[in-house]
Amino acid sequence: MRTLLTLLLAAGAYAAPPSKIFPYGYDLYDLPNGLRLLTIPTDFPNIVSLYTVVSVGSRHEVEPGKSGFAHFFEHCMFRGTKRFPPQKWEAVMKAAGAATNAYTSDDLTVYHATFDKSGLESILDLEADRFQNLEYSESAFRTEALAVNGEYNKNSSEPAQQLIEKLRATAFDRHTYRHTTMGFLADIKDMPNQFAYSKQFFDRFYRPENVTLVLAGDLDPKQVRTMVEKYWGPWKKGAVAPQIPVEPPQTAERKAHVPWPTPTLPWMMIGYKVPAFAENMRDAAALDLIASLALGRNSPLYKKLLLEDQTNDVLQGGYENHADPFLFLVYARLKKETDLPAVQDAIISTLNGFKDNLVDAQRLEAVKSNLRYSFALGLDNSEAIAANLAGFIALTRTPETLNQVYDLYASLTPEDLRAVARKYFVASGRTIVTLTHQKEAK
Amino acid sequence: MKSLILLLATVTLLPAIELISLPGQSPIINFRFVFRCGSLNDPKGKEGAAALTAALLARGGSRSTPYSGIIEKFYPMAASVDDQTDQEMLTITGVTHVDNLEAYYSTLRDMLLDPGWRPEDLKRLRDDQLTSLRVALRQQNDEELGKEVLYNVLLGTAHPNGTVSALEKLTLADLQAFYRQHLTQANLTIALAGNYPAGFADRVKKDFSRLPAGRPSAVKRPALRPLTQTRVTIVKKQTRAVAYSLGFPIAVTRAHPDFPALLLANTWFGPHRSSTGNLYQRMREIRGLNYGDYSYLEYFPRGMFQFEPDPNLARRQQIFQLWIRPVEPPTAHFALRLALHELDRLVEKGLTESDFEETRAFLARNVNLLLKTKANELGYRIDSQFYGIGEYPAYIRSAIAKLTVDDVNRAIKRHLRKDRLEIVAVAQDAEALQKALLSDAPSPMTYNSPKLADIVEEDKLVSTRKLGLQPAQVRIVPVDRFFE
Repeated sequence: MRTLLTLLLAAGAYAAPPSKIFPYGYDLYDLPNGLRLLTIPTDFPNIVSLYTVVSVGSRHEVEPGKSGFAHFFEHCMFRGTKRFPPQKWEAVMKAAGAATNAYTSDDLTVYHATFDKSGLESILDLEADRFQNLEYSESAFRTEALAVNGEYNKNSSEPAQQLIEKLRATAFDRHTYRHTTMGFLADIKDMPNQFAYSKQFFDRFYRPENVTLVLAGDLDPKQVRTMVEKYWGPWKKGAVAPQIPVEPPQTAERKAHVPWPTPTLPWMMIGYKVPAFAENMRDAAALDLIASLALGRNSPLYKKLLLEDQTNDVLQGGYENHADPFLFLVYARLKKETDLPAVQDAIISTLNGFKDNLVDAQRLEAVKSNLRYSFALGLDNSEAIAANLAGFIALTRTPETLNQVYDLYASLTPEDLRAVARKYFVASGRTIVTLTHQKEAK
Repeated sequence: MKSLILLLATVTLLPAIELISLPGQSPIINFRFVFRCGSLNDPKGKEGAAALTAALLARGGSRSTPYSGIIEKFYPMAASVDDQTDQEMLTITGVTHVDNLEAYYSTLRDMLLDPGWRPEDLKRLRDDQLTSLRVALRQQNDEELGKEVLYNVLLGTAHPNGTVSALEKLTLADLQAFYRQHLTQANLTIALAGNYPAGFADRVKKDFSRLPAGRPSAVKRPALRPLTQTRVTIVKKQTRAVAYSLGFPIAVTRAHPDFPALLLANTWFGPHRSSTGNLYQRMREIRGLNYGDYSYLEYFPRGMFQFEPDPNLARRQQIFQLWIRPVEPPTAHFALRLALHELDRLVEKGLTESDFEETRAFLARNVNLLLKTKANELGYRIDSQFYGIGEYPAYIRSAIAKLTVDDVNRAIKRHLRKDRLEIVAVAQDAEALQKALLSDAPSPMTYNSPKLADIVEEDKLVSTRKLGLQPAQVRIVPVDRFFE
């Protein structure tokens, strides 16, 4: 109790010192089985958000034919246990007025529920049960695979999905980032036949060492600890480390094209190989700043392409935090196919410019200010606080990472950015994919 | 005496800006300017004028500052201005941190009260609006396409973003005319929340009193053509799967005393993006037909991208609607039959006592989540004002507390129906679907796993369900015909 109070007070009892970007105090607690609990009391009344962050994603899909499985498994987690079959699970959630869902990405799977605080204990019990005792029939499993196929279908009219799929397959030879979280269609079609594998997947990866519970809202951390120990304490550790193939260095620029069968605006996506987040947080922070300077709404390139020349209606991108080396991405959507070469040149020469020139100090300050205020404006409810943390938690399991990243932003100089640009904006690390409307030959 | 009456009349007609002020501790300051006008006020042949006017205000320059300068000002603050135009409401929202309130507000005020009307802004924003119809809606989102076509054919109204042909011809003069006529004090509600200084809200209201006084813009909604029989529109386009939206107009909006009862019924039957709904359970959870199936009492655009509805889409005419997410073409006939079967059961049998109690307990708590942000709280207050009801969650909680299961089932019988439906399908092989629907031939289902006996039995019933459609009731329309 004493340590708990001290920690809360040290963190400023919900009002952190101004140097820290994350303004809330929190209680971070590790259970003996490796499960980590992060409780963030907020001043938003009555509501609680529970984000169960599993540091497992499509990155873990190492076996051939298993692309998309982490996401499919997320669906399976809703297929019940002996104690709480799906309908009973729904009934407990309903009694608390809960809004629930889940999502999967390259490095994480997140199960979330936002509910009336009166439902806290019953929901912690319910969730602990499915993470420990999941049990579904082969028949339910096969039916769920069809829903995933339905999810693929609903996304299939959107060309950006195909563009990113092609970019990954082109930029990566071995690493599992080669495929999207949704997975290849052939693997999705085969999912109904993977019942045995799904049990293995659960057994290997759904273990307390891979999971952090993030609770934000109208909460008493001491009470939360007691409940979590009671329901999640018995969970057995035993996570297996996945053997994720190491991507060999890229040695030359790569290109690919997607012909799209229905009318669309032309798209271009450019990726540069960059390091993993935790491996080089300083470079990651520098790349975030460069992304804002190069592609942000007040950047010269954005103004030229979207406001002056009006060749584009989309320009965005940046560094995405990943567990392993991924890509610095630029997405551009154009109005005319004939502008593709000029826009490509403009993007590449803008990024190359960071290697030759020091950025203007005032512009750098504007970007740093933008990042701090963007973050602050995003914390407008308990669910948003938990959701904002989930990505960092999956990679480092502590909210301090967030403070570290913003401290890094503050410390980086124009010289630092130039050095980082020189390291990563090289043609041999680059992949370019385009997508245009092309009627199929009859 | 006569002059006195005239004077009184004049006084009562004086327009007044409504002000909703929710001062609080949050450093996040939310602004909401809602004008009671929208695409229903677009002049004939100028469909899209309301939305493009809103876009020019929120995403264009002011007279003193071009848009690039506005971006430059807002960027270090991470502040933003957004717009949303629907049939009867035009909304501009803004958000800033209190540190930057003065600089932000003075820019925002100039954008709305003294717009720049620059040709380059018109070109850019018109292109965006055209792309939203020609590319995003027609080509890249079959689900939203199905829903918008349903509104179009049921209500006879254009998409809030207008039509391609009208947008191409809109001029700055058209937009200025719309602005002068409709963005007036008479139509405006200003809502603010956050830790702004004392007197700030009144200052904003005073500043916006520079707008023309104006008159309320509410126009008569187009008369509904009675649906005498079920109609099917198959939108033909290249796509993998078949998406459905179907429904009919209802007399109920939030203003109607039966709204809470129907909301409860709908929360049991097809709550948005929730696995708890009956329709979802029967179609997706048990049979794996698709990714999800839901039903609606109110307009809810962009539902595939969000879990909660946006406020300030209030309308005087709503439809009851089923959204069937894309199904594999070989199961399309069966999926439609099953959706209609579930609708039948809702209308005929209603909710059981335990369905009712469980759903009521859920709704009483869940309704609070809608207001988890101050921006939403402001938006809901304005909608409540539109409908003439109290603060939304409190109104719903107190109304459902008084209901019985019989009240709910009576409301279902009174307002919902199982026939005279408008059905929209988005499909590639439109001819095959048309043929199947007209044939009324059995559409037996096969699954990749065994099903319980009651499901097998139910499937026999569903797969032979007669739609009884005549050729004139099932038309195929190429996608390019819509929103043109």
